[in-house]
Amino acid sequence: MAPGAAAISAARLSGRRNIEVIHPYFIQNSFLSLVSGSVALAVSYYAFRYRKVTGSSFLRLLSVGFMLLGVGLLAQGSIYLLAEFNVGRFANREALVYGATGVYLVLQSAAYLLIGTGYTIRVQRGQPSDGNGAAAAVVVAQATPLLFGTLVLDVGELVILVLVSFVVFQGIMAYSEQKNRLSLYVLLAFALIALSHLGELLASLLGSGDLYLLGGVAQLTGFCLLLFFVNRSGRVGSA
Amino acid sequence: MAQPEKQRSTIRIYLDILSATAEEGNAKTTRILQRANLPHDRLMKHLAELQKRDLLTEVNNEGNRYYTITTKGQDFVKEVRRAQSFLSAFGVYI
Repeated sequence: MAPGAAAISAARLSGRRNIEVIHPYFIQNSFLSLVSGSVALAVSYYAFRYRKVTGSSFLRLLSVGFMLLGVGLLAQGSIYLLAEFNVGRFANREALVYGATGVYLVLQSAAYLLIGTGYTIRVQRGQPSDGNGAAAAVVVAQATPLLFGTLVLDVGELVILVLVSFVVFQGIMAYSEQKNRLSLYVLLAFALIALSHLGELLASLLGSGDLYLLGGVAQLTGFCLLLFFVNRSGRVGSA
Repeated sequence: MAQPEKQRSTIRIYLDILSATAEEGNAKTTRILQRANLPHDRLMKHLAELQKRDLLTEVNNEGNRYYTITTKGQDFVKEVRRAQSFLSAFGVYI
């Protein structure tokens, strides 16, 4: 059996095993999530601030998208830490962790859907559409039935991965138009966030704690790059 | 930075008017007309709106009418330029 198929079978057998494997990395990843979430909220604040001035609908979607990302990451990080240190003396910590991850995945999916929609609007208004949005929707529609029966959370990760990949693709298009550093930072940030979701999906399928931690580090690096981008773009008006 | 040719948004027109006024100091209507590339009636409408928002002030000096950017107007220009820079990274223009 191929390693990937073996891992999927293992994941099908028990979701409990996955949590046990990644459990030693919960604290580190929880802190990484808290920092990433704070950065996402900072990006959301700047998008909201600039939307007030420009009235841009793209910025509205970006602001709400990053707000959902930030809230999802903060909720996930906080609940993991609460469960880890048993602050609330929860009766079923494992269910709590699964619940938190589920909420996080739903919020992340909604966030990337909004950001992706924003990009689609941009493409439709700015230049002739090449049908990327429709293509992404077809991929999502095809991917879900294929994985029916595996862990819901893994499918959630996969859906997010498809959505972030769409955002990365739009980032590549924006960079190819602009060829400036700011659009490169945005592209690299979303590429790192996509890699982090790939890492977390593989961590779950292969039962690798190291990949789980690497995913968290990649996500934090991506969000830090976004923070760096916000800082650099903010200097333009001050010059 | 290259920007695709398209119809200017209101915010873009405000930016052009305010930037022209800021660079000129005390700017006459004809000078703003040239810099902002607008018909007279539309310019007057925008100038009235900008004054209403306290972004510009009108100064009458020896029968000549000048426009001066306010501190709030300068802050507005800075903020719009920041927003423009932020948006351009996503391939979006104001």
